[in-house]
Amino acid sequence: MITELETWGIFLSPMIASPIALLAGRKSRNASGIIASASIGLSLVLSYLVYLKVSSGSQIESQYTWFYNINYGIFVDHLAIVMLLMVTFVSLMIHLFALYYMGGDPNRHAYFAETALFTSGMLGLVESSNLLEFFMFWELVGLCSYLLIGFWFFKPNAVSAAKKAFIVTRVGDLLFLIGLAVIYTSLSPIASDPLSISFIVNNAAQLPSLIGQYNLTIISLLFLGGAIGKSSQFPLHVWIPDAMEGPTTVSALIHAATMVTAGIYLVARVYPLFYEAYPISLYAVLFIGSFTALFAGTIGIVVNDIKRILAYSTISQLGYMLAALGLGSMFGSDVISYSMYHLVVHAFFKALLFMSAGAILLALMDLRDVRQMGGLWRRMPYTVTLLFIGSITLAAVPFTSAYFSKDTIIGLSYTFYQSSGTLLMAIPWIFLQLGALATVLYTFRMFFLVALGKPRSHLASEAKDPKKIVLIPLGILAALSLVYGIFQGSFYSFVISGASVPAIPDMTEMLSIAFLVIGVIVTYVLYAGDRFTKINAEKVPGYKMLTNKYYLDKLFTNALAQGAILPLSSAFAGMESSYNEGVERFGGSFLKAGKVLRRLQSGVVENYFLLIIISAALVFILLEIVGGV
Amino acid sequence: MISESISTVTGVQSLQYLYPLIVLGIAGFIILGLGLATSSKKAYAGIAFGALAIAAILILLIPQNASFVLSNSFAYSQFGAYFAILFVISSLFIVLPSLKNISAKGDIFYALLLFVTTGMIVAAFTMNLIVLFISFEAVSIGTYVLAAFHKTRRTLEASTKYFFTGVVSTSFIIFGLAFFYQAAGTFELTSALAVVSKPALLIALLFLTIGFGFKVAIFPMHQWAIDTYYGAENSVSAFLSTGSKLVAFMIMLKIFIVGFSTMGEDVFLLFTLLAIFTMTYGNISALSTTNVKKLFAYSSIAQAGYLILVFSITSYALWSGQNYGLIAVNAVAAAMLYSLVYIFMKGGAFVFLNTLDKENPEFSDISGFARKSPALALSLSIILLALAGIPFTGGFTAKFYMFLYLVDAKLWWLAIIAILNSAISVFYYFRVIMYMYWKPDSGVSLSGSRIASATVIVSAIVVVALFFYFPLFSLLHGFAQGLFGVTG
Repeated sequence: MITELETWGIFLSPMIASPIALLAGRKSRNASGIIASASIGLSLVLSYLVYLKVSSGSQIESQYTWFYNINYGIFVDHLAIVMLLMVTFVSLMIHLFALYYMGGDPNRHAYFAETALFTSGMLGLVESSNLLEFFMFWELVGLCSYLLIGFWFFKPNAVSAAKKAFIVTRVGDLLFLIGLAVIYTSLSPIASDPLSISFIVNNAAQLPSLIGQYNLTIISLLFLGGAIGKSSQFPLHVWIPDAMEGPTTVSALIHAATMVTAGIYLVARVYPLFYEAYPISLYAVLFIGSFTALFAGTIGIVVNDIKRILAYSTISQLGYMLAALGLGSMFGSDVISYSMYHLVVHAFFKALLFMSAGAILLALMDLRDVRQMGGLWRRMPYTVTLLFIGSITLAAVPFTSAYFSKDTIIGLSYTFYQSSGTLLMAIPWIFLQLGALATVLYTFRMFFLVALGKPRSHLASEAKDPKKIVLIPLGILAALSLVYGIFQGSFYSFVISGASVPAIPDMTEMLSIAFLVIGVIVTYVLYAGDRFTKINAEKVPGYKMLTNKYYLDKLFTNALAQGAILPLSSAFAGMESSYNEGVERFGGSFLKAGKVLRRLQSGVVENYFLLIIISAALVFILLEIVGGV
Repeated sequence: MISESISTVTGVQSLQYLYPLIVLGIAGFIILGLGLATSSKKAYAGIAFGALAIAAILILLIPQNASFVLSNSFAYSQFGAYFAILFVISSLFIVLPSLKNISAKGDIFYALLLFVTTGMIVAAFTMNLIVLFISFEAVSIGTYVLAAFHKTRRTLEASTKYFFTGVVSTSFIIFGLAFFYQAAGTFELTSALAVVSKPALLIALLFLTIGFGFKVAIFPMHQWAIDTYYGAENSVSAFLSTGSKLVAFMIMLKIFIVGFSTMGEDVFLLFTLLAIFTMTYGNISALSTTNVKKLFAYSSIAQAGYLILVFSITSYALWSGQNYGLIAVNAVAAAMLYSLVYIFMKGGAFVFLNTLDKENPEFSDISGFARKSPALALSLSIILLALAGIPFTGGFTAKFYMFLYLVDAKLWWLAIIAILNSAISVFYYFRVIMYMYWKPDSGVSLSGSRIASATVIVSAIVVVALFFYFPLFSLLHGFAQGLFGVTG
């Protein structure tokens, strides 16, 4: 009955494996990790089979009626299959590494059950054929991230970080949900399945005439709100740095491969909504993305926690992806392929960075302050070499894969400014270009502090490489980070047929390389030795603002939460308690009514008949008076 | 409305439509005969179970196209086949759990169960009022005896009250039929279409509603039901509140949607009034009861109120001249879905009582039950949540479609009343769950009846599965057209 079984299997395999892993974990903790990894391996194989099918044909669609005019099913086109392959592959690598990384945790069966469910949620999201189904998987992913961030629930920080992640993304989810309601009401008179994704994708050109540009703009802006929450863009980015309280493999999974890319994928998935709306939608995407790219990068320069540096770098790189999508008003839907390429490349090197950081942290007993590391290259040569490969890719050193993916985006933003001609449109380019400088600075600051110099703590001087076999997944990712650039052209034309590698203006090319050289020199001078300890950072202008993350966290917790929301909520609480009292009284009266009614139930059959005869007579009279006869 | 031509089957070909009835009848007599030789309850139950299962398969094997059989006294349609299967399920449901409390004369119990099921299947496959009446009586008389099994003072009282009210309801039906014939000039529901409304038809409407409403336990014809459900053996209560109630409900669907298809206004006023009273009465009375079985009995009345909302939808669509065809088919499909889910919800709830080692437990007797048997407590919780209409259970889907088509027929105010009623019902269902999970242990032990436990767990699983089986409704939508298809 169900067609396209292998496509369904992609997300069903880990979904089914999740409870099995949990149950098997009661008997043997180690079995659960193997079950979860195997299920994701199966998903990867299935994804590849589907890839063969999709690359020869065009789209796979299999739909069933869920209720009313809402369908459920799967929809896989070139965009989705790219995501599927990336998610299954990276998730498999992370799971394999987690077998080692989580190997000593007493609750690791729960960990693997949760990561399998999480991966399944992400895969289901990618292949959803319907926006409501998409939203349900979206929420499942959110729930799993809450569970995983708070996985070490005995740490109070982890619990509050999990709560923060859940609540902040909730803001975005709410906007997304409202957007769903708007698109449902505007499309339901026209389409038989108003929330169908394939309808939006395949009828892109008719959308403005069907539902009007005004509605499209509202819908796309609300969807953008959802994407901002999930992909942690300004101003809803505040949850990701705190989310680093979870296990490092979780950070790799959530903040590299999967969850945070869901927001970007949403925008790419329903791109026609943005493209056909008033230009303001795409401009909002462009400006938010480029601003975040620079903004998060600058904070990354002053953070000392190695995982948080990577977290801010993730926010910044996601900004590049979003900004790339925002350039669509000039380059059309080709920008989806540019954005997706950076997304895939980023998944490779960020998973690599997080996992090699994880290996370092395991050796250092979870000492996360980069100022106390130092000299690790000599002590953990393999791990730090992997970190090095990740770092040069992140910094977009020429001929690594990010060099191709990121400089394309920066170059396009310059072309965009040149052809639009207004000075306002230079802003995204300036943001993105300076963001590249920030990237180089925070990347090499982190790397030099970790790898060079002398060990600045006892733990750092004792660190050792883990067994080589556990580093194999990292090695694979490192190789991909280095060479994936050669697939640039074929990737572009696979995602969007006809998209090709755009020419990159010499201007941006030169600037990027100049920034790279400057950045490496500055950070080497300051951080390769002990020189940075002599600078009093407090005196450097702007340092305080950066360490306080532009006071945004303070704004949210102090001004918004404590100043506005708490009084409001206590007012609501007051209302609620009086309402509760009312409900209680109301309910109490029902209880009394129930006692009266039950007195009718005397147990005497004659009385029953009496009641019937009286009621029948009353009804008869009533029908005679008002009825139709 | 579909207007496919309905074939007429004659001669020996008619036999294939009767196979399920023949199998059940013969198996019934075999059990009676076996009663002379052995008194092994298990043997009777096994034969009954097998015969019912075979009958279910045979019903599925009947040709799928709508046809008249045996000079129009049988009218086969997928609508009928669906309900026939439901009735067989509701009998299958209690065959094994009843083993526990049926101590003597098991042969008569199981033979009667099969005969009653035969009557039900006949009712499913006819559109003739006389055949409907006779099959309905066959069901009633059989169940009078079933209610008296497990002889205690309480069951006898239950059976006696049931018998008296049943007889009165029969007389109402007979009167109603007479008036219907007087006005329509025919007992064929399918040819009663051209009848214009007359005062006699109004009396027929009222009397037939009273007569069949007894079995469905609609306010104010509900009072016997509390005493009988409360008094009868648990599995018999399950059967009375599922199979026997659904037979009457299905007959009402046939009579009031097909037969009275010209008097939308009267049917609407009558049934809307009854539905509101029934829902509200059932829910409010259940609020203050402290006996678990009585709670189930009251909730069974409230559920009847939701079921008969279907008449409000169809008749309102007819009266207000909306898109009658589409709305009516949708509403009937919703009612069919509700009936299916209802069997497992209510049946599971009543059979649950067999897993306790106490007759007629009070709330205090099930407190702390979750610690004694987590699986059973979870299953009962799922069933109760389904009765309350909480999502991820079939009960939600059933209520959802019913309320959806209320709104679709522009009866949003009635939908609000129904939803408010559901909200009230959440209170008492949760009270049971609260007692099971958050109250100290009561000391009442499990009866250890594995069959009853398995039945409860299976019904909970089915109730959840029905939510996730999304294609079900479109399937039922096709079946529902059988009710109208026969009208041509």
